[in-house]
Amino acid sequence: MKIIDKKTTRRELLVNAGLGLGGAALSGFLPGGGFFGAARAADLVDPLAPKPTHFPPKVKSVIWLHMDGAPSTLDLYDYKPELIKLAGQEVPASFMKGIKEGVRGSTGKLFATQRSWKQYGDSGAWFSDLLPNLSQHADKLAFIKSSTTIGATHDISVLKLNTGDLNPGRPSLGSWVQYALGSANPDLPAYVVLYNDKKEPRGGSINWSSGFLPAVYQGIAFRPGDSPILHLTRPDLVADTEQRGTLDLLNRLNQQRATRYPEDTELQARIRSYQLAARMEVAAPEAVDLSKETDAIKELYGLNDDGSKSYGQTLLRARRLVERGVRFIQVVSGPVDVDGDSKNWDGHNNLEENHGKNARQVDKPIAGLLADLQSRGLLDSTLVVWTSEFGRTSFGQSGNGRDHNPWGYTQWLAGGGVKAGTTFGETDEIGLQAQGKKVDTYDLTATVLYLMGLDHLKTTFLHNGRSERPTVVYGEVVKELLI
Amino acid sequence: MKKNRTYLAFVLGVSIAAAAVAAGEPPAVDAAVSAAAADATKAEAGAAKQADAKLSTSPSSPATKPSQLWSYQPVQNPTVPTVKNKQWVRTPIDAFVLAKLEAKGIKPSPAADRAAYVRRATLDVWGVIPTPEEVKAFVNDRSPDAYEKLADRLLASPHYGERQARRWLDLARYADSAGFQGDETRPSMWRYRDYLINSFNEDKPYTRFVQEQLAGDELYPGDQSALVATDFLRGYPDNRNSRDLVQKKYQVTTDITDTVGQVFLAQTVGCARCHNHKTDKISQKEYYQLQAFFSNVSAVDDIPAAKGEQEVAYEKANAKWDDATKDIRAQQKAIIDSVRDKAKLYNMDRYSQATQLSLKKAYDVPESQWTSQDRWVIHHYGEYGNDDDVLSAYLQDHSNKNAEGYDPAYAEKYAAYKKLQDELKKFDKLKPATGSDTVTAMTELGHADAPPTYLLFGGDFERPLDEVQPDFPAAMANGAKPNIVPTATSSGRRTALANWIASPQNPLTARVFVNRVWDQYFGKGIVETVSDFGKAGQKPSNPELLDYLADNFVKQGWSAKKLHREILLSSVYRESSAYRADAFKADPDNKLLAVFPRQRLDAEEIRDSLLVASGELTDKVGGPSVFPPVPSNLAAGNAWQVSKNPEDWNRRSLYIFTRRSIPYPLLEPFDMANAQQAHSKRDVTTTPLQALTLFNSDVVFGWSKALAGRVIREEGSNSSAQLDRLYEILYARTPDKLEKATLLSFLDSQEKVLKEQALSGKLTINVPTGLKETKNLDPIRVAAFVDLTHAVVNSNEFAYRF
Repeated sequence: MKIIDKKTTRRELLVNAGLGLGGAALSGFLPGGGFFGAARAADLVDPLAPKPTHFPPKVKSVIWLHMDGAPSTLDLYDYKPELIKLAGQEVPASFMKGIKEGVRGSTGKLFATQRSWKQYGDSGAWFSDLLPNLSQHADKLAFIKSSTTIGATHDISVLKLNTGDLNPGRPSLGSWVQYALGSANPDLPAYVVLYNDKKEPRGGSINWSSGFLPAVYQGIAFRPGDSPILHLTRPDLVADTEQRGTLDLLNRLNQQRATRYPEDTELQARIRSYQLAARMEVAAPEAVDLSKETDAIKELYGLNDDGSKSYGQTLLRARRLVERGVRFIQVVSGPVDVDGDSKNWDGHNNLEENHGKNARQVDKPIAGLLADLQSRGLLDSTLVVWTSEFGRTSFGQSGNGRDHNPWGYTQWLAGGGVKAGTTFGETDEIGLQAQGKKVDTYDLTATVLYLMGLDHLKTTFLHNGRSERPTVVYGEVVKELLI
Repeated sequence: MKKNRTYLAFVLGVSIAAAAVAAGEPPAVDAAVSAAAADATKAEAGAAKQADAKLSTSPSSPATKPSQLWSYQPVQNPTVPTVKNKQWVRTPIDAFVLAKLEAKGIKPSPAADRAAYVRRATLDVWGVIPTPEEVKAFVNDRSPDAYEKLADRLLASPHYGERQARRWLDLARYADSAGFQGDETRPSMWRYRDYLINSFNEDKPYTRFVQEQLAGDELYPGDQSALVATDFLRGYPDNRNSRDLVQKKYQVTTDITDTVGQVFLAQTVGCARCHNHKTDKISQKEYYQLQAFFSNVSAVDDIPAAKGEQEVAYEKANAKWDDATKDIRAQQKAIIDSVRDKAKLYNMDRYSQATQLSLKKAYDVPESQWTSQDRWVIHHYGEYGNDDDVLSAYLQDHSNKNAEGYDPAYAEKYAAYKKLQDELKKFDKLKPATGSDTVTAMTELGHADAPPTYLLFGGDFERPLDEVQPDFPAAMANGAKPNIVPTATSSGRRTALANWIASPQNPLTARVFVNRVWDQYFGKGIVETVSDFGKAGQKPSNPELLDYLADNFVKQGWSAKKLHREILLSSVYRESSAYRADAFKADPDNKLLAVFPRQRLDAEEIRDSLLVASGELTDKVGGPSVFPPVPSNLAAGNAWQVSKNPEDWNRRSLYIFTRRSIPYPLLEPFDMANAQQAHSKRDVTTTPLQALTLFNSDVVFGWSKALAGRVIREEGSNSSAQLDRLYEILYARTPDKLEKATLLSFLDSQEKVLKEQALSGKLTINVPTGLKETKNLDPIRVAAFVDLTHAVVNSNEFAYRF
């Protein structure tokens, strides 16, 4: 198969083609589209051509670690001696101020963490013994301990975390990034979703949807197994050389006909899309093929432990995607077996076993990822975000669990441009509500975009008469987290 | 103001920003001047955070001067322009188009050849390619009214309704599931899809079509089809898990109002939810007046359907599950019954306080004392709050030794309940995965009194200001006022709205619809922003043509078929799409339509045309949605239970189950509609994932094998005849010399490749399917022909209509 027309050098192809090649019918690209105002004609041909940032970026890639189900950060990072002291008592009314009645459900008595705690690194950050490996990287992390969001249920808060709205329909953060920056490697999607569950995460593709942006910007789910993308492998019983022959014929038929439409960039783009697809057939399985990774690396990511193996594989894939220029990698943590049931971090009951197993699943792989990125010199150009849809309450539920807490919880960032070894914000003395300056999901979004060289206020798309942006009408870059 | 207190009691200092988002679609920034959007946006964000000052500036300020916006002016009856090239004018449409071309000195293109025309028209009207016989019949029809006969034949077919229905489903944000994480099946929504197909096929006047969808329950009581029509309103995504039903009501009403504004009026009314519209004359007060038309609607999902074949079959299938699980469910019920009242209260406790105030009345006060708001909340809770599985949480939460209120008896009961639940799951396979014996619809629950609607400060449902009454936005109403006549069972509000939208005096309704149809044929609307006829939208490229079409549409009794027919028979639709250097130079965007705009087939057209070409299509109109197989690595689990009957796998794409969280993988890459919001326009993107899908999918490859088999069946083993036939089927033409040479040389070279493969011991070839007689066929040669077919299927020429 002639993968590339001989007249076109690979370099030209990269410049001219990009990953996604588009027709002129992208409905948002009408005059007045804002961000795309400048080089319109070129963008129409290729919606995924690399595009300039608004200012020099700190990082090239983002790994977005979504802890699905909402961990209790009170049992991981947010050490509260006062809560231990008050355990077993009713929540003092002063702490409940501002929290809507009812939404909090049946408020149990204050519930102390069962873990033992220590400070780590020069920064002296607190970690519970649920995270023995991650704690070794304390000085790489910038904690946000005054995180807040909206919503009492996972559905809407997961949506808000990913898309900025409680209703489906808006683009996810990765889609905005892809829309604004294009692709750095045409052989792979620029926005990849990874998960280590056997099933797609709940809510499915809505959480990596391109919303009102053209579909070309949606996240592509890389599925577990050797063939990460749907329809990546040849049909049954078709051999490689055979398919190359067919592709060559297709190319010739298309080229012969194309001479009739010399100015038709859309038809030309479609011819190239088959060449790119052929390259993706090779590049995508290679990107997720862990067979060439050393045993030491596999061990580093926890692949030798059944409790962390599948998540570790996912993060190792994430690193390989970063190396290959993928811009946004959204990783959704899968459930573990808790008392016979498949459970994510949603520890309404049996929190000890739940968090013990969920923490074991992610602790070593995340620590391994940070160490690996650093040793390869990639940590400076990558942003790792540890986040969840909300946290969990200081009061207990059903005797041995915790309920949802959108009022105050912890997230962290690590990587390029991030002020490592710091903590921003705090919760009250029992860890229930954020105090002082709070960090909403919009602020996190603005900060991530900032690190990628994008001003969230200037990243806009015209939709239904409105100039929409990733942070809706909110969001502020959290400067305190940045170098 | 008594009820108002209920709202006000819960103003608990949530930031405006947060609350506005909690209320549903967030306030976004209008972009009249997008270059300045960044600054404006910043200012907006600041304003939202610091709140009051800006937003409180008279949200009800009426439009003092009449709006000059073109789309609010009455539709004119423009004079048909005089043109030089009179012969070219087949319908007044042509005169309007040609006048613009002549003004620029551009000639229109000659007519496309008949074969290209019939392929184009069949795709546009039916959504599939024509058969070679249909092409031949038209090409050879020398009668003077050949085009008229073709148009009439196309419009008389049920495929017309299928194609138009799919377009409307996009606008109705149609899905067979509720969305969000639960994404529960909506078992009766397919009736709405069938309603659309039938309405288009009957050529129901557009006015009636509008009225039924907005107020079918009020206007035509007892008419099941009109009731089903209200599912247009029902299409909103819904979070079953919602803990704040007061907020949900606002969210649902917001979705409905914004969708109606966008779809029927092409107005971005939603921009006026948090503040006065930035560019159009719609005040915030007027926005809530529009919401007030919908303040009393409720989704009702269990209305018994008239019993037809489908219903009887469904009930029979369901009865099997019912019988098999009767004991289990009775035991479960007995367990929950022993704590039901306590469990209900416990469950209720997890709802917002405003919700609880209404819910408690379900126990404490007779129904006659409920407010209309209570009624709404209790009704929507009812679906969820009395579910045994939901109530079992009460047992579970008191089963742990450390739990407050721990009761060992509960622990025992919960264990028993859970065991039964597992037992019950084993019977899931007996349940019919699709179909229903009920109708889902929007009604007013048999009451005429509607909950009050308030102007909401900053769009925050917990900050109501003055109560507002239903009314039309003044700028577009041109003096029209709602005539609200309550019925015994309904407020009559939606009827008033529907009558205004469906009136010939409404300046928007006809324009918006004819523009959507034009967009369908020419790839671009006369107004490019098909759902925004406001100031921020595009202006019509040919306003006289738009008004001619709108005016004529009304005069023709709002007949969509007559509109389609006139377009189909126009010279402009008949133009060739061949490239012309002169036209390209003079009008590179082809705005004036000197050349017919070629168009990529949309997702459904690609799949459905392949089904037609391969002869695999199950050509059956209507019925419950189907689940064709999906790639195994999709890992969709129970959410995608493949239909048992393989014939269902080959139904047209609009019958494929729309699960909001699992877009059908074969269609999704080709810019299919996103079901989360009204989808106004299909994008055309070109991506490697599309190439992978068409080239590698076993399903598509299977169709190529079937198509190869069909060609051999019909033409025998003569290669040249096979190639002619293949091209006739897919492209409505025969290959030229160069193409034929290319194809024949491929067959030879591919034969060699396959032979080498065979010699290497791996005899892995794909032979055509559907052949009865295979004795005389060379398996290697026909395998090469399968590959050839697959290349032709993947070509640009197939994926476009020219």
